[in-house]
Amino acid sequence: MVKIHIDKKPIDVEEGTTVLKAAETAGISIPHLCYHDAFPPEGSCRMCLVEIEGLPKLELACSTQVRDGMKVFTKSEKVVEARKGVLEFLLAEHPLDCPICDKAGDCKLQDYYDEYGLFESQFRESKEKREKKDKIGKSLIHDEERCILCRRCVRFLREITETQELGVFERGIHSRVNIYDLTPVDNNYSGNLAQICPVGAITDEDFRFKTRSWFLKKGESICPLCSRGCSITIEYHPGFSHFGVPSRVYRIQSRENQEVNGFWICDMGRYGYSYLSENRLDKIVINNKEWNIQPTWEDVSYFINQQLKKLDEGKKTSQTVLILNTWLSNEELFLIHKIFKNDQNLERIFFADRPQAEKDDFLLTAERTPNKKGALEMGFDMKPANPGALSDKTDLLLAFGSFLAEQISAADLKKALEKIETKVLFTSHENELNSLFDIVLPTALIPEKGGSLTNIDGKIQKFSPVFEPPGDSLPEWMMLADLGRKFGINSSFYGEFKTPETIAKEIENEVPFFREQK
Amino acid sequence: MEKSVDELEKDQRELIHVLHDVQEEFGYIPAQAISQISKQLKISESEIFGVLTFYKAFSLKPRGEHLITICVGTACHVRGAPMILDEFERKLGIKAGETSEDNQFTLETVNCVGACALGPIAIADGEYHGQLKTRKVDKIIDKLMSTKRNGSD
Repeated sequence: MVKIHIDKKPIDVEEGTTVLKAAETAGISIPHLCYHDAFPPEGSCRMCLVEIEGLPKLELACSTQVRDGMKVFTKSEKVVEARKGVLEFLLAEHPLDCPICDKAGDCKLQDYYDEYGLFESQFRESKEKREKKDKIGKSLIHDEERCILCRRCVRFLREITETQELGVFERGIHSRVNIYDLTPVDNNYSGNLAQICPVGAITDEDFRFKTRSWFLKKGESICPLCSRGCSITIEYHPGFSHFGVPSRVYRIQSRENQEVNGFWICDMGRYGYSYLSENRLDKIVINNKEWNIQPTWEDVSYFINQQLKKLDEGKKTSQTVLILNTWLSNEELFLIHKIFKNDQNLERIFFADRPQAEKDDFLLTAERTPNKKGALEMGFDMKPANPGALSDKTDLLLAFGSFLAEQISAADLKKALEKIETKVLFTSHENELNSLFDIVLPTALIPEKGGSLTNIDGKIQKFSPVFEPPGDSLPEWMMLADLGRKFGINSSFYGEFKTPETIAKEIENEVPFFREQK
Repeated sequence: MEKSVDELEKDQRELIHVLHDVQEEFGYIPAQAISQISKQLKISESEIFGVLTFYKAFSLKPRGEHLITICVGTACHVRGAPMILDEFERKLGIKAGETSEDNQFTLETVNCVGACALGPIAIADGEYHGQLKTRKVDKIIDKLMSTKRNGSD
C-alpha cells in the first residue's frame, strides 16, 4: 500500500495502481477518452493530464503509476488550461455535427467540452473532408471525420476478438482508422465497437437516427438468449400511456460484470431484442367455445385450481402433465417444484427448450437455456417432451412457453394435444401453437419481472423488472404463487410470497445449492 | 512473388525490412504481397497496411521505370523549385505523384533532401542534379530514356 494525496485528499492505494484508477477510488474523476479498463493504457488522447508535485511537466494519469507520497492535482489552473488546449486540438479536425450525430448525449468529447472547454475556436482553416458513412461491418457505420484516433476499436479487435479487421492507416493529419481492402469487421462481437467508441466515429446502423439517447430510460437486466447470462443494459422509451403508445426497446448495451461477461456482449444478445416487443400476447385467449365470457386471471386461476382439485380427489394426479422451460426463473421453478412435485406428486414434468446452436470461443454458449443449471439444482430431471408421453392418459396439460413448437413437429403436436381434455398454455408471444390450447395466458419476459437465473457456471444472478409487461400479462411467479394459495395446501406458506425476494429466501432455506452459492 | 517472400525471415520485427525488399523487387507493394506477408509473419493485413501507408518509402501503385524526385523544401522553393517542377510536369505530361501512361516515369516531390546549398535539386534514378535550370530538364529526361533501370532488357 502507498499513501498519496489527490487534490489534497489522502488515499491509500495498492502499489502499481495508476493515478487515474487511484483517483477513481477516491471518487475523483479524471477525464479520459482513449483509456478503457479493458486495455492497457494507450496515452494517445492526452485528456487525462494531471499535475504532480515535483515534476516539471504534466503527466498522464492513465499511465503514471502511484509512488509513495505523491501529490497529484487534477483541478489546478495548469491542468485546466492544458485540458482546454488538448480539447481544442481534438476539436480542430472534429466536424461538430452533434445535431445529427447518434452519439450526442452519450459522447465523452461533448461532455468534456461542456465541462472543460467552452472556448471560441481559433482555427480559421477549413477542416479536412473525409469519409462520413463508411459501412465497415454488419451493423457499423464509420465516420472518419469524427474519429479522434483513440484506437479503442483497433485494440478491441486486436486483444479481445483477435480478428484485427481495423487498423490505423497513413500518418499525421491524414491518419485514419479503417478496414483493409474492404474486408468488413465480421465477428460476433462487432456491436461492442459502437459502444466503446468515445465519440460518434463508429455508430450502430441498428440504432442510427431512430431516437436521441436522452429520450431513453435505462434498466439493468440479464440476457436470456444463451446460458451465459451476460449483464446488459436495456435502453427503452417508456412510451406515452395517455395516447396508447407502448414502451419500446431501442437498444441493448453491455454492462460490466467481471465474473460473467467482462465488458462485452455478443451481437446475438445485442441485436436480438425484437422479441421483447414483437408479436406479444397481451390478453387471455380462450379457444374453448364453452366459455362465452372474457375471463380474468382470477377466473382462470380458479378454473385450473378446480381442475387440479378434481383430479386430486379422484387420485388421478398423475394424469396432469407439465411442460416447463429454462426461461423460468429460479423462483418460478421453485414454486412449480413445490406445488406440482412436492404437493401433487406429479411425475410427468417435461422441459421444452430452444435447441442447441453454434457457440463461439468467447461468451456465446451452445446451450440456449438461460436457467438450465437452476432447474437441475432445483431437482428437475429435465426430460425432453415427446408426443407419446405427453398425451398418454392425460387429462390436464399445463405448458409454459412456446418452445414446444421447436421440438415437436406441428402435426405430431396437434395429434397429441387432441387427446387431452384441458390444455392451458402460459406464453409471452402470439404463436401458431396457441390455437391448440383451450386457455392461453399472457406472461412476462425477463426484463418485465423480478427473479434470478443460474448461468452455465452456476452463478445466480438477480434481475429486477425494467418495464411493465404488456396488457394483461403477468409474471409467472405471480400466477404460480396465486395457484399455490388457491390450492389450499399449506396456504400460509404461499400467502407469504409477495415478492421474488421472499421466494428467494425460501429457496436458500430449502435447496442446498442456493444456500452454498450465497 | 511467393518465393521472394518465402525467403524472408519469419520474424514480426522484420516487417519493414520485408516491405523494403518487396518494394525494391517490384517497384511497389502489390496486394498479394500484403496477404503473403500477413500469412508468413502472422501480422494482420490491416496492420501491414498501416505500416506501409505510414512510410513514404512504400508505394501501393506500380512506379514507373524511372523515378524523378524534386525537392520542394524551403531552400529549393526559394531558389525556384516550383519552376523546375512545372517544367518536369509539362515535359512528362504528368502531375507530381503520378506515373506516366507508358510506365516510364514517376514524378514525386520531397520536402528536403538535405542538400540545400545545391538547390534547386532533383534526383533522377538516384543521381542528384543540383543547381538546376529549367533548360537542363530535357537533358535529364533524355538521359533517363536512354538508360534502362536494373539492366533489364
